[in-house]
Amino acid sequence: MTDLRQIPIDKHDFQVTIEVFIETSTICLKSQRWGRGWHSRLGRFAIGVMSSAQLSPRKKSRWNRDKIYTNLSYLTMVLPGAIWLLLFAYLPMPGVILAFKTYKLVKPPADAFIQNRFIYSLIKSPWVGLNNFKYLTLPTNVGATLTYIRNTVLYNLLFMVVGLVLSVALAVIIFELTNRFLAKFFHSIFFLPFFISWIVVAYVVYALGSSQGIINSLIVPLGYAPIEVYKQKAAWPFIFLLANIWKYTGNGSIVYLATITGIDRELYEAAAIDGAGKWKQFVHITLPHLVPVIVLLQILAVGRIFGSDFDMFYTLPNGSAIVRDVTQTLDVFVYGMLRSNLPLGYPAAAAFVQSIVGFVLILITNAIVRKVRPEMALF
Amino acid sequence: MEVIAKPDSKSLVQFFSRKEKQRDMLALSPGVNTFFTILLGILCVLTLIPIYVIIIASLTSESVLVADGYRLWPREFSARAYTFLFSQGSIVITAYKNTIIATVAGTILSVLMVGLYAYPLSRPNFKFRNFFTFYAFFTMLFGGGLVAYYMVTRQLLKIQNTLWALFLPSAFSPFWVIVMRTFYQSNVPNEIIESARMDGANEWRTLFQIVMPLAVPGLATVALFSAIGIWNNFFNCLLLVDDTKYYSLQFTIYTTLNNIRFLLENADKMQGIVNVSELPSQTFRMAMAVVTVGPIIFAYPFFQRYFIRGLTIGAIKG
Repeated sequence: MTDLRQIPIDKHDFQVTIEVFIETSTICLKSQRWGRGWHSRLGRFAIGVMSSAQLSPRKKSRWNRDKIYTNLSYLTMVLPGAIWLLLFAYLPMPGVILAFKTYKLVKPPADAFIQNRFIYSLIKSPWVGLNNFKYLTLPTNVGATLTYIRNTVLYNLLFMVVGLVLSVALAVIIFELTNRFLAKFFHSIFFLPFFISWIVVAYVVYALGSSQGIINSLIVPLGYAPIEVYKQKAAWPFIFLLANIWKYTGNGSIVYLATITGIDRELYEAAAIDGAGKWKQFVHITLPHLVPVIVLLQILAVGRIFGSDFDMFYTLPNGSAIVRDVTQTLDVFVYGMLRSNLPLGYPAAAAFVQSIVGFVLILITNAIVRKVRPEMALF
Repeated sequence: MEVIAKPDSKSLVQFFSRKEKQRDMLALSPGVNTFFTILLGILCVLTLIPIYVIIIASLTSESVLVADGYRLWPREFSARAYTFLFSQGSIVITAYKNTIIATVAGTILSVLMVGLYAYPLSRPNFKFRNFFTFYAFFTMLFGGGLVAYYMVTRQLLKIQNTLWALFLPSAFSPFWVIVMRTFYQSNVPNEIIESARMDGANEWRTLFQIVMPLAVPGLATVALFSAIGIWNNFFNCLLLVDDTKYYSLQFTIYTTLNNIRFLLENADKMQGIVNVSELPSQTFRMAMAVVTVGPIIFAYPFFQRYFIRGLTIGAIKG
């Protein structure tokens, strides 16, 4: 017969209580003294409850004074951040319903419960269903909307792929360089652009590409006609890509470099003894070790695929209408509508699509990763 | 495959502190090594060119810049733009003041809030740990969108046209909370915290006297990144500030560039209305750009010895 004392009683979970209860009941069932009628079942139940309560006496002390104080301190620590999140992240969330309303500013009457003008107006504004979305798909606007969606997604994919390849390549090369001092020096230089704001980059683009810019001062003496690079549609994808690589590659490579330095050297030595060259070592040792980090960062990047680096897309082309087809992204589009005289519902509808699509995409990507390699999933 | 590699800060610090890699069977062959050294050297020069361009333009003599356009090596140098910038230009000084206040306040606030929020999440005895982790994490996945954010900050929180607008919206970040949580978990052994508790320190004292000193690299990284973020922030000002009194530095130089571009592009239409030659000088603007970059670059070496460790550990889920 099972000894009751063998059941661990230092776990105070509810689950353990249940286990103890079942165990006790089984023991009682096995002993001959109990019959099989309903009253004996009731008796078994009673004994089970009593013995399980008796077996975990420390259950009551789960919330002793010390623990309450500790948890209260923890709650106080979390409080400032929690309030910030509430104000700046959670309060705007219900605002997505703006997309389904025609927002009209109404002054709340003096006896109204809600005195804030925005909330009052938000509640009082009439629901209009999908009317706001219709504006985006009007024959006159649908082309532009699709173009901006295309720009956003394609630029993001481009930056994801190129950024990933270059960051990993930079990390590997920096790691392999024989001269440590140079490796560190190079890395510091590549990290530097991360400190420079997009506005200053916009100045640089201007200094390089304007009619009086450096590019012209270099090519005109060679006999070419002067060009204004930033008025050329074809040039913009390259400008964005170059600017993006310039600013983020050094920063992006740090996490990969840290992963590579953490790989066990013996793996490489074994591979080298077996005759694997540098490339084979990279493909069969370095890359598999990098995959979890890559997957994680890419899941997060997929969630932002309908967003964009607002500062870059806003300041570099600076609203130039000539190149809008290739430079405007959804973020900038939404901001433009927000600051125009259009009803608030229109940009809200576009922003709603952005939020929902990003959220759904991140869930889907995570679900796929979870299916294939559960340990790499984000959640 | 069982082994999941995680970014390892200690090995990275070792990697950077070692003077010379021992020559062994794993070393690159000298030829390949030279090739990559030269390649990275060239790329470094290319990386520095944009910075060089604005510095050299700001040091060019104005008349030469107007006559020749931008050059890699101008015919004539002049520091007049800088003397002009500091002799007058109250806009720049106000913007500087605003940005410095915002950066200092925002950095302190974000280190405190992130450091405080992340610590309980790293403690297994916090009962609401999962809830508050999710509470922060969820905001990384879903947001109300720009329009709702704009309305809430302007109509409900009413922080527009105040100095708060420049740093409060960037004073906290769920991403850095996750990073710091993992940093605490992996760099502050549970035994130390337990023994501090045993000696009678309460949670606050444990955090400030034991845990935070051990987590300085992580906190310094949060400080550095939020300082860069707020110093370079343009969006908060664009969205929430209309009053020139509260303009940030980035926004000030943005509006300057914007005005110039607009006038130059429409110079023919504007003939007679604005005299293009009377615009704030080109070198002056470049000097402004250089001056905005300056201070934040100086923060780099100061934080450098910490940030590699802080950045890598826990940038990944733990």
